[in-house]
Amino acid sequence: MSGSAVATLDRLGRARRERLRAECAELAELSDVEFGVRLLADTPTHENRAPELLRRWASVATEFGAGLVGEGRDRAPRVVERAGGVEQLLLAKYVSRPVPTVELFTDTLALGEELVDLLGWRESYADGALRAAALAHEEAHLLLHGDVALRRALRERLGHTALRLGRFRITAHVAGADELVAHGYAAASRGLGRSPLLLTAALASAVRALAQD
Amino acid sequence: MGIVILLLMLAGVGLMLTRKLPTAFALVLLGVAIAAVVGAPLTGENSILETVLQEGSIAQAATMIAVLIGSWMGKLMAETGIASTLVRKIVEFGGDRPTVVALGVLVVSALIGTVTGSAPAAMMAGIIGIPAMVAVGVPKTTAAGTILMGIAAGMPFELPIWQFFSTTLDLPVETVRGFMLMLFPFAVVFAVLFVLVETRRKGVEHAWSLAAPAGDRSRKRAKQLGDAPWYALLAPLVPLVLALGFELPIIPSMLAGVLYALVTTTRPRDMNKRLLRTLYGAFDIAAPPIALFVAIGILLSAVTLPGAVEALNPLVTAISPGHPVVFVVVFALLTPLCLYRGPLNVFGLGAGIAGVLISAGIYPAVAVLGLTASYNQVFGVADPTSTQTVWAAQYSGVSPQQVMVRTLPYVWCVALGGLIVTAATQL
Repeated sequence: MSGSAVATLDRLGRARRERLRAECAELAELSDVEFGVRLLADTPTHENRAPELLRRWASVATEFGAGLVGEGRDRAPRVVERAGGVEQLLLAKYVSRPVPTVELFTDTLALGEELVDLLGWRESYADGALRAAALAHEEAHLLLHGDVALRRALRERLGHTALRLGRFRITAHVAGADELVAHGYAAASRGLGRSPLLLTAALASAVRALAQD
Repeated sequence: MGIVILLLMLAGVGLMLTRKLPTAFALVLLGVAIAAVVGAPLTGENSILETVLQEGSIAQAATMIAVLIGSWMGKLMAETGIASTLVRKIVEFGGDRPTVVALGVLVVSALIGTVTGSAPAAMMAGIIGIPAMVAVGVPKTTAAGTILMGIAAGMPFELPIWQFFSTTLDLPVETVRGFMLMLFPFAVVFAVLFVLVETRRKGVEHAWSLAAPAGDRSRKRAKQLGDAPWYALLAPLVPLVLALGFELPIIPSMLAGVLYALVTTTRPRDMNKRLLRTLYGAFDIAAPPIALFVAIGILLSAVTLPGAVEALNPLVTAISPGHPVVFVVVFALLTPLCLYRGPLNVFGLGAGIAGVLISAGIYPAVAVLGLTASYNQVFGVADPTSTQTVWAAQYSGVSPQQVMVRTLPYVWCVALGGLIVTAATQL
């Protein structure tokens, strides 16, 4: 991939486009929870966890995110749009300093919209839904980042124990759960038919196809 | 003649900087060239073949064995899940507070840094530690810097380093230990400051990424490892307690650490196999530093030949500051010269310069220890050409230069602290 300007699916040959369609169709057959399991499994510290446990955590975290819809926010983050996302494999980014800012990578978003059209997934991802979901995803990070009680509630819901001494118990952090919370929030608040993680996986396939082309 | 030697050294730096020659080869070539220009005979006393190449190449033998055992223990800690369990526990306890996680990973890195150095140490702490920090929102450059600052905080207690300075500067291990104890607080304070200031300054960062880390080989390997029992996590402390607390010699202390890591994690029937496999694996890890120590021994033997000392003495005397304050100011300003394999890098030409400073009687050996150990704290973290910095930066997805810019102010302060202690106590 030499640059974001050339990141368009028109560049792909007919055969490669068909292969991409087939790859994404296979992805679409997986359940939304399975994408959550995969995300957790790829997150360090979960190398030895049983798939059933990861499945439970993925469901709990996604539901927790969906339950945050409507939570009051004192201030919206600043939004900055920039290119170069395809090259960096980024769709959006949240940074808390110097001021809470959501960076949206316009080239990745455009590629995502093009891909949704190519795959006929408009039913699940309406026009402009990816941008809205990206904003919502990063808003969820802002919500979690600024609210200790919310983070504690998430830990309690996940129910993972770091240390237990008799009745005394310290709940453990589940790495990656906050990402699933953000995806759950984005899907619920923007009315997506499928998890944003499905589109993320499809986009990754598209970027790979463009790089190989 | 002194000028010719300095020009040769300059050419050596040029060869290393431009990567025309690997550092070890350049140092050997430099050692032979210096011996030749000062008129050392081919054979006999103070000769090129017997003194420089034969005696020089094995001068650092004790350091080489210490490095090998350190790598052995590192390999064991990685294979038995001790290192990964330490990091995993830290993340579980401190998880949603990025600063707490980074401080925890810093402590684990420091512990690992006392056992072994260079890229293997960075990998042990970083393979899980870096993505774990990034997952909780620590920015990538801060994550890489945290691993490196942690290893550097443990470096004053890295036993192979004690052996290296003891052999290179011909000082008793007790003297080296004494200085390292004074350097340690600076290394710790600035490492903690790095984490506190940088996590506050840069805040948290979360990315919606398309990258699929599933194919990462190191994670697949980690998948096969279980959690090590809690008492096995004390393994990095064993050599330290024995060498520091009980003042046992370095190599037996490190061997005790290897045995402790083995018996606390391995079933008796698997012990022989695991011990041998990790030992052979350690040779791979230790090969680059051992090659460097052979070359350093050769260079040191060359610059301490009587002809070389005689030629360099007036030059080095003229340019070396004698007043303690000037010593601190000048050598603090020269600190960047230990970066990019520069002339003050003690694992390169800096070892030769240290040899000259001592053999010419410019500074007492313990002052040269202070100087080189202080520079070592900088090189070990911020040098974009050192293997641990390159690995940590690339694994985090940033450039080694970004890590250098972020960490240099902190490690420069550590070096300044070490230089002040040196000037105050030794000059």
